[in-house]
Amino acid sequence: MAAGAGSRDVVALAVMTNRMEGVVRKMTNTLFRTARSTLLNTARDFSCCVVTAEHELLVMAESLPIHVMRGPDLMSRWLAHYHPKPRRGDAFLHNSPYHGNSHAGDHCVLVPIVDEQGRVRATAVVKAHMADIGNAEPTTMTATARDVYEEGALIFNCTKVQQDYRDVQDIIRLCEARIRVPEDWYGDYMGMIGAARVGERELQKIGEEGGWDAFDRYVEDWLDYSEERIRATIRKLPAGRRTGYDLHDSVPLPGVEDGVKMEVTVAVDPEAGEIEIDLRNNPDCLPCGLNLTESTSATSALIGVFNSIEHTVPRNSGSARAIKVLLRENCCVGIPVHPASCSLATTGLAERLGGIVQRTLAEFKDGMGMASPGPECPPATASLSGRDPRHGDAPFVDMMILGNSGGAAHARGDGWLTNGETSDGGSMMRDSTEVLELLRPIRVWADRIVPDTGGDGRFRGAPSLYVEYGPIDTELEVHYAADGTVNPALGARGGEPGALLRPFMRRADGEVVELDPWGHVILKSGETIISISSAGGGYGPALERDPEHVRHDLADGWIGAQRAHDTYGVVLNGDKSVDLQATAARRAELRSAAGEAAPRPREDAVLRLIEPGSRIWSTDVLKET
Amino acid sequence: MATPARDEQASARPGLRLAADTGGTFTDLVLEQGESVRLYKSSTTPQDPARGILDAVALAAADLGRSVAELLADVEVFIHGTTRAINAILTNATAKTALLATRGHPDMLLLREGGRTDAFNWSYGYPDPYIPRALTFEIDERIGSQGEVVRTLQRDGAVEVLARLAELEVESIAVCLLWSIANPAHELTLGELIERHLPGVPYTLSHALNPTLREYRRASCAAIDASLKPLMSAYLQGLEQRLREAGFAGRLLMVTSSGGVIDAADMAEAPIHSVNSGPAMAPVAGRHYAALDGLSENAVVADTGGTSYDVALVRRGRIPVTRETWLGLEYEGHITGFPAVDVRSVGAGGGSIAWIDSGGLLHVGPQSAAADPGPVCYGRGGGEPTVTDAAVVLGHIDPDYFLGGTMALDERSAQRVIAERIGGPLGLPSNEAAAAIMAVATERMISSIEEITVNQGVDPRTAVLIGGGGAAGLNAVAIARRLGSPRIVIPQAGAVLSARGALMSDLMSEYAAAFFTGSDDFDHARADELLGDLRGCCLEFARRATSSAEAQIELIAEARYRHQVWQLDVLLRGELAEPEGLALLVEDFHAVHEEVYAVRDERAVIEIVNLRARVTCPLGGGAADAVALEQGGAPPSSRRVFFSEAGSVEAAIWRLESMDVGTRIEGPAIVESSFTTIVLDPGAVAERAPSGSLVIVPDARERMGERVGSSEVLS
Repeated sequence: MAAGAGSRDVVALAVMTNRMEGVVRKMTNTLFRTARSTLLNTARDFSCCVVTAEHELLVMAESLPIHVMRGPDLMSRWLAHYHPKPRRGDAFLHNSPYHGNSHAGDHCVLVPIVDEQGRVRATAVVKAHMADIGNAEPTTMTATARDVYEEGALIFNCTKVQQDYRDVQDIIRLCEARIRVPEDWYGDYMGMIGAARVGERELQKIGEEGGWDAFDRYVEDWLDYSEERIRATIRKLPAGRRTGYDLHDSVPLPGVEDGVKMEVTVAVDPEAGEIEIDLRNNPDCLPCGLNLTESTSATSALIGVFNSIEHTVPRNSGSARAIKVLLRENCCVGIPVHPASCSLATTGLAERLGGIVQRTLAEFKDGMGMASPGPECPPATASLSGRDPRHGDAPFVDMMILGNSGGAAHARGDGWLTNGETSDGGSMMRDSTEVLELLRPIRVWADRIVPDTGGDGRFRGAPSLYVEYGPIDTELEVHYAADGTVNPALGARGGEPGALLRPFMRRADGEVVELDPWGHVILKSGETIISISSAGGGYGPALERDPEHVRHDLADGWIGAQRAHDTYGVVLNGDKSVDLQATAARRAELRSAAGEAAPRPREDAVLRLIEPGSRIWSTDVLKET
Repeated sequence: MATPARDEQASARPGLRLAADTGGTFTDLVLEQGESVRLYKSSTTPQDPARGILDAVALAAADLGRSVAELLADVEVFIHGTTRAINAILTNATAKTALLATRGHPDMLLLREGGRTDAFNWSYGYPDPYIPRALTFEIDERIGSQGEVVRTLQRDGAVEVLARLAELEVESIAVCLLWSIANPAHELTLGELIERHLPGVPYTLSHALNPTLREYRRASCAAIDASLKPLMSAYLQGLEQRLREAGFAGRLLMVTSSGGVIDAADMAEAPIHSVNSGPAMAPVAGRHYAALDGLSENAVVADTGGTSYDVALVRRGRIPVTRETWLGLEYEGHITGFPAVDVRSVGAGGGSIAWIDSGGLLHVGPQSAAADPGPVCYGRGGGEPTVTDAAVVLGHIDPDYFLGGTMALDERSAQRVIAERIGGPLGLPSNEAAAAIMAVATERMISSIEEITVNQGVDPRTAVLIGGGGAAGLNAVAIARRLGSPRIVIPQAGAVLSARGALMSDLMSEYAAAFFTGSDDFDHARADELLGDLRGCCLEFARRATSSAEAQIELIAEARYRHQVWQLDVLLRGELAEPEGLALLVEDFHAVHEEVYAVRDERAVIEIVNLRARVTCPLGGGAADAVALEQGGAPPSSRRVFFSEAGSVEAAIWRLESMDVGTRIEGPAIVESSFTTIVLDPGAVAERAPSGSLVIVPDARERMGERVGSSEVLS
């Protein structure tokens, strides 16, 4: 199995690739285990990857797709532009949304891997979502900022933060003067440096063991192999050009009061083995925080494609060569122009965009593509800040990740319950109630699924999640930016939309009130937030769902009896097994009645949960405690 | 009956140690007395596994010319390994188990901790929880993070839930309430209520089993454990009783998932520790032989049983242990919450069934004929062709010398069924059909080895292949050739590798004390007191251990920087009663943090979360096996054997027991022992090593070309 002209040593390629993934996993483990914010040490809202000397993404392992599929390559280019001759021991801090980063809230540490001769051989990249970067408000996700000035972000553009493996104190002091809880930021930053240095250590070892030239040959082979794989996959798809649409909820600012209409054209060219995604026919940069960056516009399109094709195709710059994403400057889903705010560039429009691409691809043929995922950022994923009375009123800023939106149904299964966002494909972890309560002065009263909310279909979208939480003996400042309270996740190929996102607050006197989607709330002790996330869209007609799956959903409380009967047309025997004959008859009846909209009790299901005296925690009990 | 006379006898000569490993097809027994190690194999009896064990003991007694009672009376330690727990989980045969959870949090087992192994793999839907939602019940209560009672447990409601469990005929109960690690009162109350209202129904309280932060982990541990309790306690009680009745008066120990042993009574209390125990011991023995015969610190240890092929890695002399072990895929399966030896298993073994799908493609496994009915050639009613049947048809296994001739095989039936079921549909003569079955089984085994080596960035070409289990030798050469392994070692005790490993394991226990303090406000007196208690537990454990060797005690602090949530283990070097000891701990923590994570934060306060003590009592195993030699240098016989590359050829047939140390043979040849058959394909070279192992260079021709002469490799 020796390598030779025209033939690759496939075993060596596989061994090396796994070793590279091992490097990225070690980097990931370092930051996960050492970080100070729950956003990083529990929810794992960060990514690590390795970029080649030619600025190509080589390996991303379990990193969040939205963080790395495009972006690290762009940042590597900018770094080479500003610092053409980096030295060993250097590290660079970067978060500029205009220079390849995802959004300012993601701090990146870039460490060039420099060989004995002083040549850059690769770059280790660590990107972590920070709960606070010194913005105007204690959050890094502000929908209502009209520009980057109002957002208030400190922007670092390939700023040298370490030299000779030691911090450049000027930069650290700059951050400490601006970021709200400097010691926690510094702890997280140090974990990032550790992760990057672990990556550097491992990559240097690989270079020393096998030689850097062999490493370069591997890089070339691996990226070429990845490109061949994706082209072979695309060659099997049906040819065509289709356009898909969606509507993002409005933001209370001039120019976005009616929401954002989105349009994506997808062209599949099996002969060339290429897919083209055109994002240019969309609005100019918006006067709010919704604008995507070059990184997240391209990545969201790539995610929609990779969600729809054979999953064993490697994801890197090699396979991305076969996917052309057409972007326009000064476009809200294109390349932003300073000072447009891109505060929400990894969530709102990005989620909608990935959804359109995969729903449009689903229309090419049955068995391909996905529905849209539940729109994002209910208050169970809010930025939390305040003071902790248990630790001498020490200030804190953190971001919780519980009960995010439900996953989209796909061609072979139901939506992924803990998908969170399609931008990460479920890779992100979720918080533990106990870890949250240990680190922050809050109590999580409930964390559970809401039955009857997932988009119905042959495969069902994942349901909404109900999370209720509030501060303990203190005030809690809550910031969130939710999409999907008006426009639900759409289904694919005749699948139904998922339930809407609903933010509520339970006052101390027991009254439950609905909150604004773009929320900034200060909760007093005794008050709680009730967060109901949006559910994922369904795939295929509900009447085609396997009756056994419907029976299971009913038995285990994912749907109620009425839905099983009215929407899915499934009739059960006395022993709860499926009555196949009666089911066939019921389905025929529903099919012939199609057109008359069947009543869908979905919103009632949500509202029942928040009534005083509901079965989760009633207001009376909460008051009593 | 224990009499003073026997005690004197015991002190006069080394006691007997037995290890019994119950596999899917065979029950392996290893008997060790001083330097002498003897091996026995009997058929596994799935309906009553204890009988298979006693059958093997009877074989040993007959061999030694003693009665079973006499033999068992001399046994000091009986170590048992079984795959019973994992088999129950895999076949959905665990108890009907309910989960009791804090009100508002019924979906812990469903939501898990999030995460996914591959963000783009949409070939399957969201996995079910370990306990269905329909058997999950919320209890009206709440404890806070500092252990404060936020809402008192509402007993009436809880009792109503228990009544409902009785109606549902629930067989076991897992209890996981929020913050039970900070205040176990409510979990304890539920325990009392269960005992009062559902007497006899076993239950597991999460804080008692695994007092760890993060509710999902405790819930998952408790759920798995509770679901195994009815089954495992009945099994262990039955086994112990049967052994006692047969004359055993020693200590019954059970193999754990992490490659150690614990008392059977402790295992019955927490059967989760046996979940990954089946394959945990082979690597312990494999590491020993890799160093002894393979002259290598890297080895692939493959254990070929009747139903599965288990592969573990030895890396730089260490057996990798995963701290966070999952049943199934990481994030998507069910976390066990305890460390386990890292083993990959595929359903491919001697009993694996060969079948042809509707498209005409040949498959082997994962279905297995197991012990009952077994392969067709066993003549016990099996009707499906298996890997073992293929080996008989190829002439690799001598039907008259299986298990040393104690079990005659029906060659003609094997021929017939392979011709009918495989040869016919594929249009192949039966020997070629049999070779095809071996080739498919080999491929499946190779992919599992590649998974564990390549995925960890280890090139299989740098690792020795250790062949364990009765069927290992059938295709070890074929596997090693494909992987490019430089050397194969088939230990003398290879056929019973797991049981052999069990005798090399240590008796281990670990004790933990919650101790939350910071380096800025350290409670020296309390630390000293807790360490004293922990040391006391270890000494008490060591005193009860029958080992004559000295116990080793390690004291560990679990520490982290303030606001981190994951701890690092720091081995304590000094006493904590004085500031000097704390200074050492702080210094060591910074050093460990820097070593593992490349950075240190000198400015941060260090928090100590737990103190732990680990006691290890070596049980005295691991001595070299004496080479079993019958008539030394007996000449080989020969018979016709089929190889796919050479066709039917006359091959030398050697008996392992009659090969002198240093004897070197070349393939094509077959080496047989009472327990196994080793196939040497043409071009392979084998030599009997001083340890008694057979060391094989899989492709001597190619090796020569690489200037690594076979004699050099072998010597």
